[in-house]
Amino acid sequence: MATAGNKSINAKLVLLGDVGAGKSSLVLRFVKDQFVEFQESTIGAAFFSQTLAVNDATVKFEIWDTAGQERYHSLAPMYYRGAAAAVIVFDVTNQASFERAKKWVQELQAQGNPNMVMALAGNKSDLLDARKVTAEEAQTYAQENGLFFMETSAKTAANVKETFYEIAKRLPRVQPTENQSGMVLPDRAMDRAVSASCCA
Amino acid sequence: MMTSDLSSSPSSSGTEFADPNPSTDPETNSERVQSQLESMNLSEPSEVSDGSHTDYSGGDDDDENAGAVEVALSNGNEGGVSNGCVAGTSVEEEIEGGEASSRAEYPVEMEAGEEPPSPTSSGYDGERGSSGGATSTYKADDASEDEIREANVDGDTASQHEAAWLPGKRHVDEDDASISWRKRKKHFFILSNSGKPIYSRYGDEHKLAGFSATLQAIISFVENGGDRVNLVKAGKHQVVFLVKGPIYLVCISCTDETYEYLRGQLDLLYGQMILILTKSIDRCFEKNAKFDMTPLLGGTEAVFSSLVHSFSWNPATFLHAYTCLPLPFGSRQATGTVLQDVCASGVLFALVMCRHKVVSLAGAQKASLHPDDLLLLSNFVMSSESFRTSESFSPICLPRYNPQAFLHAYVHFFDDDTYVMLLTTRSDAFYHLKDCRIRIEAVLLKSNVLSSIQRSIAEGGMRVEDLPIDRLLRQKPNQGQAGHESPRDVSVGTGGPFGLWHFMYRSIYLDQYISSEFSPPVTSHRQQKSLYRAYQKLYASMHENGLGPHKTQYRRDENYTLLCWVTPDFELYAAFDPLADKAMAIKICNQVCQRVKDVENEVFLQGASPFSW
Repeated sequence: MATAGNKSINAKLVLLGDVGAGKSSLVLRFVKDQFVEFQESTIGAAFFSQTLAVNDATVKFEIWDTAGQERYHSLAPMYYRGAAAAVIVFDVTNQASFERAKKWVQELQAQGNPNMVMALAGNKSDLLDARKVTAEEAQTYAQENGLFFMETSAKTAANVKETFYEIAKRLPRVQPTENQSGMVLPDRAMDRAVSASCCA
Repeated sequence: MMTSDLSSSPSSSGTEFADPNPSTDPETNSERVQSQLESMNLSEPSEVSDGSHTDYSGGDDDDENAGAVEVALSNGNEGGVSNGCVAGTSVEEEIEGGEASSRAEYPVEMEAGEEPPSPTSSGYDGERGSSGGATSTYKADDASEDEIREANVDGDTASQHEAAWLPGKRHVDEDDASISWRKRKKHFFILSNSGKPIYSRYGDEHKLAGFSATLQAIISFVENGGDRVNLVKAGKHQVVFLVKGPIYLVCISCTDETYEYLRGQLDLLYGQMILILTKSIDRCFEKNAKFDMTPLLGGTEAVFSSLVHSFSWNPATFLHAYTCLPLPFGSRQATGTVLQDVCASGVLFALVMCRHKVVSLAGAQKASLHPDDLLLLSNFVMSSESFRTSESFSPICLPRYNPQAFLHAYVHFFDDDTYVMLLTTRSDAFYHLKDCRIRIEAVLLKSNVLSSIQRSIAEGGMRVEDLPIDRLLRQKPNQGQAGHESPRDVSVGTGGPFGLWHFMYRSIYLDQYISSEFSPPVTSHRQQKSLYRAYQKLYASMHENGLGPHKTQYRRDENYTLLCWVTPDFELYAAFDPLADKAMAIKICNQVCQRVKDVENEVFLQGASPFSW
């Protein structure tokens, strides 16, 4: 939950999306302003923090960059539970990753925090020739589901800062103080999670 | 358990044992040396004279020598190599004379000694299917791909043997129809009991479905007879099988490694898979026998290929012990203290590592970390680039600790080499672990541990050249036997004193080993690999069941003089110049042991939390 205090807001943010959509690349561009062409696949989840100043407040993002690999899907609730914002990432050159993004949106709508700010990021927008998902299609879907949509490119840095800035602006300014900084997951969750992934 | 390969001949190289006449040795006034000499002389020749362990034929590094395989293949063609099968006797009859080749009607085919050449056969050994091809094809093929690349790497990285590994899987474009694939000297496969491929070291798993089904068929054919297939020998090739519930692991190798070690490698490969997924994957196969596991292992090729690579450079894979980075006692102590504090706050295991070596580690009360788990854990972290970008929190299973459950691992790199791993059972502990890391980092900085670590990396470990030999020389100035060169001359240009090239010392109680740095003449990656292979055989021969406990083994061939000494406290493996003098070699081994004891506070982690298993 985002907690307000002296115009400084702590916000937990989670990135979700298919393997190779560019979640880690987006975060690295945002946090370290770096880009590597062949980003290694993420193990489990990586944690970053980055502070952003918006008009009326300082937002400190605690970012969970989750792994897109199938074996980690079942762990996602551990990371999105209690998150104030989520960025669902897909690859505009890969239709399947867009379908996967829709599934993530459904899951968040069903399980997540109802006040969560959700962004849909169509990444790799620099690859004009290979595009498979049009901006219109994604925009329409985003509007229907109450997300905001941005086409981003971690490679060229296009719209990366803007996406996080937009999230920071949309975060609710006053939050019920729910002092819960960590992730809470019942002990049984892992069991359930593993079997769920295996049946897939 | 092991049937000797019919084609193996007794080695021509002489095998010698500890000298039964200590009186011929130059006397020393050291009681300790004397008593140890006596203990070494206890070994009786009959204990060690086991023909199956004597052939370390010279220059036989099959893994890299293209010529050697050429010979193997032509033998296969001409000789109709008879295949021994190490399983129950009933099985031996069935498979004898058969190829591990895959035809749909394989049980019939396997019994047939002569199989018509079938170009479409997907059998591992290329000899039948491609016997028509000119031998020059093989040569050209062999010279390409891996061999050249590895040879190039050799020259560049004399001692940095870890650097020779390139992350990720190579030769994905191959399948069992490619000649290059068939020529690979060591294959590893993981498959399910329904024959679905899970992992292959070379080639694309999906394209290898047919081959995988063949392996499954062989295993289940033997199982249907109420038996189990462990090893099939075909010419120079060994096919090693390991069944772990619904998971089958197979290694096909012509690297002349021991059956025990190849099986141990399969065990580690299985452990690595369990570390990523836990043993609960078994349940997926109970629910659906046709379950496809490959998607669950997505993105882990580098983890497996790095493990397979470590089989040829990391002694921990066969010693089942871990090694520490040499450090001043105080640095390790300071690290250990803060790690123990952290463990007292609800962390199960806390480790500070430098690459594959331990700086210090601690565990919660009654929790013990098996050296194999440590190996798999460090391999997992070191081979995954993703851990280096930030702090990571990832589920991980320690197969020897609890194969059924995930732990949660917090991983953070302090610099390129040094990292901390904190393991807990609680999935909500991330922020706590992060705080622990901050505490640990503060201690490491305050005590200058990180700079000590960098200094230790730069200085390297123990060197055979640095062994103090002055005492020996002083005491026996006219040491030269039978008129050959004086000891000082012998020691020049041949590594350490008296032709000592390399040693490994394993402490039984600590479950740790210390290995000397590679010194000339053992400088190239290939030579180092070949020395490790020799050690592996030595290790296997000393630990073989049913032959009684050996204490010492002294063995000479054209490559090395090898000396192994096993006591209840430690095991010593040493390699000398092939011309080294035996009596001196024994003395030097005593010196090495003394030296290790002198520096044990720096090279071993002492008094770690109770390591009992």
